[in-house]
Amino acid sequence: MAAGIRFARFGQKVLILEKHSKIGGLNSYYHRKGRLLETGLHAVSNFAPPEDKHAPLNRLLRQLKIPRRNLVLHEQYSSEILFPDRASLCFSNDFSLLLKQITKSFPDSAKQFEKMVAELDQYDPFLPRPKISAREFVSSFLQDRLLVEMLFCPLMFYGASQEDDMDLSQFVILFRAILQEGFFRPDGTIKDLLDLLLTHYKSFGGEIELTVGVKEILTENNKVSGVRTAAGEVILCESLISTAGVPETKKLFPTSDTAATFSKLDGDQISGRLSFIESIYLLDKSACESLPKDRTIIFFNLSEKFSYHRPDDAVDLNSGVICFPGNFQGNKEEDIVQLRVTHIANYDKWLHAYNNDDKTLYPAMKTQWVEKSKKVIGKIIGNYSENIVYEDSFTPVTIERYTSRSQGAVYGSPEKIKDGKTNFENLYIAGTDQGYLGIVGSMLSGVTMVNQHILNKS
Amino acid sequence: MTINEIKNVILEIIQDIDDEADFTDLEPSEALRDQLDLDSMDFLDIVMELRKRYQIQIPEADYPQLATLDSCVNYLMPRLEAA
Repeated sequence: MAAGIRFARFGQKVLILEKHSKIGGLNSYYHRKGRLLETGLHAVSNFAPPEDKHAPLNRLLRQLKIPRRNLVLHEQYSSEILFPDRASLCFSNDFSLLLKQITKSFPDSAKQFEKMVAELDQYDPFLPRPKISAREFVSSFLQDRLLVEMLFCPLMFYGASQEDDMDLSQFVILFRAILQEGFFRPDGTIKDLLDLLLTHYKSFGGEIELTVGVKEILTENNKVSGVRTAAGEVILCESLISTAGVPETKKLFPTSDTAATFSKLDGDQISGRLSFIESIYLLDKSACESLPKDRTIIFFNLSEKFSYHRPDDAVDLNSGVICFPGNFQGNKEEDIVQLRVTHIANYDKWLHAYNNDDKTLYPAMKTQWVEKSKKVIGKIIGNYSENIVYEDSFTPVTIERYTSRSQGAVYGSPEKIKDGKTNFENLYIAGTDQGYLGIVGSMLSGVTMVNQHILNKS
Repeated sequence: MTINEIKNVILEIIQDIDDEADFTDLEPSEALRDQLDLDSMDFLDIVMELRKRYQIQIPEADYPQLATLDSCVNYLMPRLEAA
């Protein structure tokens, strides 16, 4: 959508093809019991004050020609990295809070942490370069294992596509987006934001077709000539930007030769393995006095070492994300309090249950794991299960079904294409698989790809 | 177009990109980017807006010639003569 707006803004003809009936991809919404429930949005990272002109958020808005003053943004209160019985670190949109917390809880590491931050501040994560292990980089500054694990916990949960480590570039992007800049939410729901973007896109003459999936990418020599939709319609184009993801785009080539030209890596090598189960709870407010009021998100880990990989079980209850979407500054008080809980999940296990002839297996498995999760989370934030008015959960299978992300891997492929270029000269990759992360990042990706590859050339 | 008209077009485009841009102490012979805190993405907007409004193609190699307000005038004058 961001790429579309950017291109349409300068009077070019743009068509967006969206497979789903709603826009937004991973950050969309659905209705249950007369309420709008968001699918992906806990918080938007990359908060920046309006005067910080070069911050990603403000650059994005300028590029899309959306005046910052037209948006009401609610900043987080504070978030917490919690390793119960060991340590807790709070952070907010003021980075000095985290520095103070580290100085207090890890006094021996504070100087080294500041040194590391100074180094990260100089690092350009968008320069193409060989992969560097972020774990090795961080450990070369910080000897305290617990602090290292605690820093990785929120960054991995909010964007890592690789298991247990990440490329230093990805670490830098996430560190800035989450710990240095911080979280906010636009006023209203994700639907309001999506409606604004769609109206804006259409005002520039952009066209969009919903429930029109691309079935094939058509090529001639080393160029894309167009696409064939699932309904069989052929649409020709001069340039194509795919935000479907790298493994998903590869599947759209009709012959093995063209697929191999697109990427030599096979599906398993480029598919992400990390997916999640998420539960949304609507709680009766009068019964929720005990829940934290000043925490927006809690990233927790109960095990000795924080593990971030596909678990052997269907769900890894040892860690997770607890989000209170109502706990943002200036949010309107509502009668219903929302709580979202996310854990890492095993795609294969959920798919196996879903495909089983016994159709009761999958829902029963969901109920079983969600009940176990409630017990774990109750110990951290206090019991809430008696106060649930409504609840719904989605698994890696749900994510794959609605977003077409292979294996429900919300953060995409571990193999990022930083320059967005492919072996087809007019086919570009934008979004998560280009390496930018989060809502602001993915949108900036679309903008940047159009700027670098299409506007500059057309 | 006159020199002043071209200058006004450039300033108007910049104002459109950043409505808080302050031109009070703008030095026409010094880099626009430094004085107005513009980045490369904003700069591309100037190029694209000129293309949209006046159908002039500015190749990437010529971007440095748009660095200052004066150099913009020198570069654009022959190209906007008919406009």
